[in-house]
Amino acid sequence: MTVQSIDIGNSRLLLESSPALPLVHLTVALSSGALEDPEGKEGLTRLTARAMRRTGGGLSQQELDTRIDSLGGSLGADVSHSTVSFTGTVIARNLDAFVDLVIDVLARPGFSEEEVALLRRETEAELIEARDNDRALARRWFSRKMFAGHPYGRSVSGRTATVPGMTAADARALYQRTWTRQNVLSTFSGDIDEARARSRAERLLDALGSGERLPDRVTDPTGPLGRSLVFVDKPERTQTQILIGGLGSHPRDPDHIALHVANTVLGGTFTARLMKEVRSKRGWSYGAYSSLPYDRHRQAFSMWTFPKASDAAACIKLELELLAAWCEKGITARELAGAKRYLTRSHAFAIDTATKRVGLALDALVYDLPPSYYEGYLDHIAEVTLERANAAIRARIDPTNLVVAVVGTAGEIEADVRAAIPDLGAHEIVPHDAD
Amino acid sequence: MLSRAREKRLTQLNQGATPLNQIRHAGTTAFGPALAVERFRFGNGLEVLLCEDHSAPVVAYHTWYRVGSRHERPGKTGLAHLFEHLMFNETEKLAAGEFDRKLEEAGAESNAATWLDWTQYTIAIPRGQLPLVIRLEAERMSRLVLRDPQVKSEKEVVANERRYRVEDDVEGSVSETLWSMAFEKHAYRWPTIGWMADIEGFSTEDCQEFYRTFYAPNNATIVVVGDVTETALLSRVQEAYGHLPPSTLPLEDVHPEPPQLEERRCELSKPTATEKLAIGYHTPAIGDFDHPALSLLSEVLFGGRASRMHQALVRRLEIASEIRVFVGPFRDPGLTEIFSSARGSHTAEELLAAIDHEIAKVCEEPISSDEIERARARTELSLIAGLETADGKASTIGFYDTVLGRPAAGFERLDDLARVTASDLRRVARRYLVQRQRSVIFVRAQGNEKEAAA
Repeated sequence: MTVQSIDIGNSRLLLESSPALPLVHLTVALSSGALEDPEGKEGLTRLTARAMRRTGGGLSQQELDTRIDSLGGSLGADVSHSTVSFTGTVIARNLDAFVDLVIDVLARPGFSEEEVALLRRETEAELIEARDNDRALARRWFSRKMFAGHPYGRSVSGRTATVPGMTAADARALYQRTWTRQNVLSTFSGDIDEARARSRAERLLDALGSGERLPDRVTDPTGPLGRSLVFVDKPERTQTQILIGGLGSHPRDPDHIALHVANTVLGGTFTARLMKEVRSKRGWSYGAYSSLPYDRHRQAFSMWTFPKASDAAACIKLELELLAAWCEKGITARELAGAKRYLTRSHAFAIDTATKRVGLALDALVYDLPPSYYEGYLDHIAEVTLERANAAIRARIDPTNLVVAVVGTAGEIEADVRAAIPDLGAHEIVPHDAD
Repeated sequence: MLSRAREKRLTQLNQGATPLNQIRHAGTTAFGPALAVERFRFGNGLEVLLCEDHSAPVVAYHTWYRVGSRHERPGKTGLAHLFEHLMFNETEKLAAGEFDRKLEEAGAESNAATWLDWTQYTIAIPRGQLPLVIRLEAERMSRLVLRDPQVKSEKEVVANERRYRVEDDVEGSVSETLWSMAFEKHAYRWPTIGWMADIEGFSTEDCQEFYRTFYAPNNATIVVVGDVTETALLSRVQEAYGHLPPSTLPLEDVHPEPPQLEERRCELSKPTATEKLAIGYHTPAIGDFDHPALSLLSEVLFGGRASRMHQALVRRLEIASEIRVFVGPFRDPGLTEIFSSARGSHTAEELLAAIDHEIAKVCEEPISSDEIERARARTELSLIAGLETADGKASTIGFYDTVLGRPAAGFERLDDLARVTASDLRRVARRYLVQRQRSVIFVRAQGNEKEAAA
């Protein structure tokens, strides 16, 4: 049960065979993502990936989907700031025909004008539709303010102002620049042996063009200055969506794992401080969490709650107090021990299938994680002491420089929300249907 | 057939046991080509389904109670769901919060779900932690402490969950309205989360009565999948649950839904950018002979981007940004729900006309064998992909055993689907996708209404 890492030409194949089920999973990932969107073409990487998925081998979208479905397969394209990944699953007996289709999608996309135009219109409609989702609205505006001026502040999906300007030629040019064998990583897991995986990966790479490995041109974001509020105004909200956060961490930080353990105490589990105070004691919100995601560059730390409108201001005040206490006083020895036990033991579920294990190995390469990040994960957790955990909080989390994003009905609660944030600097109200 | 080794083990376990904690092996069922489910029945009515799977050092421990929102009554809707929340609270041996803390420190992933027919508690643990989980689950089956402060706080949490999933969610609120329009008699007409007024009105006594009635070994099935052996499991389950007395389960008081004789329509106004359409057709229970054919038909019509509806509404006509279907997997006849969002200024009426056009076609023209095969392949992939983890297997076993009484019915369903013909698909389309048996909701976008008025 170990992931094999196999060099193939200028690329790498990750493989773990497991005959437990008659399924094969494959992922082909690009070591660049939406950060490659040209200025004014926000969303182009995503549109390009979706166009590939719909025009591979010169087939129509319907032909491609019909063939994939008929094989008992699925193939999806996921785009984030730092990577594009095509992830597929197929019933093992149909693997070869499925791989042929994947090669068509990745190496021979047609980018027909008609399909790209249709995709543009579809994307615009989806962007408008997404305004129905309050949680997504809060995330979008939080990121935009949190990373103002940095590419992380841009939307992977694009905006209604940027999508109409994208052409098939734009997609083709981005494709040719990024989808080269030097920038691609592939994985197989499931009911497939090494010889078959290697030959299929080689066929895929042979079909891709050659080019320069893309440099990472993005620098670490600097984060917000002072405390600011962005209030997304939406009518008839009985509830609010609230995100509060600042600059976070990166796995290359020497104290990243220590901060990860400390964050588990603040809002990483059902018995964490946030959940205990916000949900269990007061019943204010169905959930209350804090998160510390990673990417290739430093990402945000954030707390998420969704109390009813009349509790929003009090909830924000409480969260800021909990954050201040966590930063100033740190966590206790008992909390540390509990978090370490949880993280150590629950790791079993991060690695309980071959596909998950291969996925972690792929993440390590795509996000340029330290070599031992996952392999030595349990040792790193064991090494975290109380002093290191509390020092990591003090070093990385700054409660004076925060963005607060709230989705709610401004006329009813915005003034109370503002009053609940001590030392609030900039604040603005944006309409929920703003681009 | 009972193996000699198992017979010997059960004899040993049953030596000196009271009638309540006698264990009986009640059958073996193949679960796919490589695994099997063993059924054990205790004297107190508790059922245990075990599927040994040593592919990873983890165990899924799921407890299914045969109580859902169908067992509630008007004025007390949402009690089964509120109870699911309360089950994570104080017990006679554990202070509030200790249940979750112990599970977390064991590295467990735990969750719960309530629906129309059942309530499910899921715990996945590293294999060495199984004894703890057995003790904790047995403890909360029989020794939950229900007091005013917990009930009051949890009611607030559930009210907030309702705001999140229903009040402030267009699709959630539309779906709730659709079911209450479509059902006049049957208990499926109220939402599992309950009406807000009912949630606010629950007393601690309501909760205590519900607990005494439905949380008992004879109303539960434990499903265990993973890296565990039969001997180790049974002895611990016997020790933890064997002494628990069964409850007297009330007769179900569910009324069959009378046939719907004419189409029902309503309009809702929501703060959304575009119009939406929701349709609910009365369709059969999951155990009905027609259910597999209806599921396959819904795959042909709505399954994926090559489906007829997606091609027509999203791509060809460009009047929808999305269209989805949900075929009810319930013990009693339920609904097949269709939900679609209009694109730009297109209307819900246009969506309905296009959907009706596609449905009319499958009622008249035969569906090609290629389309049927594709729908089968999609269904097969979906089933197999859900079995990758111990948790996925336990959910599949528990669900089918709870609603159909057969833990491997998911695989039987693949055989059923293999027998479905084009004639079956046309027959179920004509029988169930008929206008007089449906309810339709037109959702108007509030902003657009104002513009129109101006």
